[in-house]
Amino acid sequence: MNPPIDRRRFLASAAVSGATIVGASALGALDPAAAFADPTPSLDPAIDTAAFAEGRVTQIKGSALEVAGSSGDQYILQITNGTSIWKVHPTTIDAIEVGDGLYARGVDMPDGTIAPDAVWVNIVNLHCTISAIGRDRIQLDHNNNALVGNVLTGTTTASYLGGAQTPDLSGLKIGQAVQVLGAWRPADDSVDIVTLWAGH
Amino acid sequence: MACSTTYLWRGETTWFCCGPAWGPCGSAGGGACGGCRSDSNHAAWPNASAACWDVTRPDLCGENMPRRGCGFVLRVRHQCTNAVVCPAIRDCGPRTQSFCGELTCCNGVCRSNRILDLTPKAFSAIGSLSAGKLPVWIYN
Repeated sequence: MNPPIDRRRFLASAAVSGATIVGASALGALDPAAAFADPTPSLDPAIDTAAFAEGRVTQIKGSALEVAGSSGDQYILQITNGTSIWKVHPTTIDAIEVGDGLYARGVDMPDGTIAPDAVWVNIVNLHCTISAIGRDRIQLDHNNNALVGNVLTGTTTASYLGGAQTPDLSGLKIGQAVQVLGAWRPADDSVDIVTLWAGH
Repeated sequence: MACSTTYLWRGETTWFCCGPAWGPCGSAGGGACGGCRSDSNHAAWPNASAACWDVTRPDLCGENMPRRGCGFVLRVRHQCTNAVVCPAIRDCGPRTQSFCGELTCCNGVCRSNRILDLTPKAFSAIGSLSAGKLPVWIYN
């Protein structure tokens, strides 16, 4: 259970003090969803209080991730013991590799770095159409581009029109619209399917 | 008037990528309005234009939300945490008709039908990207 401390204040103090205990979470959970369970300050529309970064990892130095933004921006993410990391499932900085893509949300630090409360590595959420179904992979059409979706035993689940998540993929059909939440594999440009929402 | 507290609609929001991007998102483009970016507070609305409506067809799910065009700023509130973000409409979507009847719930209260798409920056301001979709109330 999370101790009753403010997550954003904790992140800032952890980053300033250099208390980067990689692989453990003093806030009690590595699941990014936990980052949003704490009280969140209401965001004034005129003031964007949350720092955000996206791009690909170019270098990993200890607990610092150097990230090249897709628009040319450069970011340094200082991972702290309050950072939740997702890569297919909740994980640690050890799972992050150079070349991975990511989105990160956190707190701007005075030195120009970002102390993230959540980092989502290689995460994608794609609207696709099923073009073929195999035992361990599903062929998808995304924006008229072919995309291979890898079925991960024990991980991949489907939801049929808002029903409960199930590992049973037998209800999928060719031509069906699906939303695929998963993790991109930079090595072969495929996607590991975590959750698949089946539509009409 | 925009991003005020006047009720507009409620339902599910998902998230999508647009603009400069990595991986499969690289093919997404800048959205129907142009200038859509994953690292900005942007959104897609099913009734951003008449042409947009013809694609998304939310009416087939019983959702007849009003027209809100490119650049209009919405106020989006997570149904349970009350976290708020104010994204500007930069794209057409989601394709509501493909997921009629779908539910997303929190604290035992559910919202139905996909009526909004948020960029990663906007979605992550009110929830976790790994959740995929959230129940929200929308104001204008």
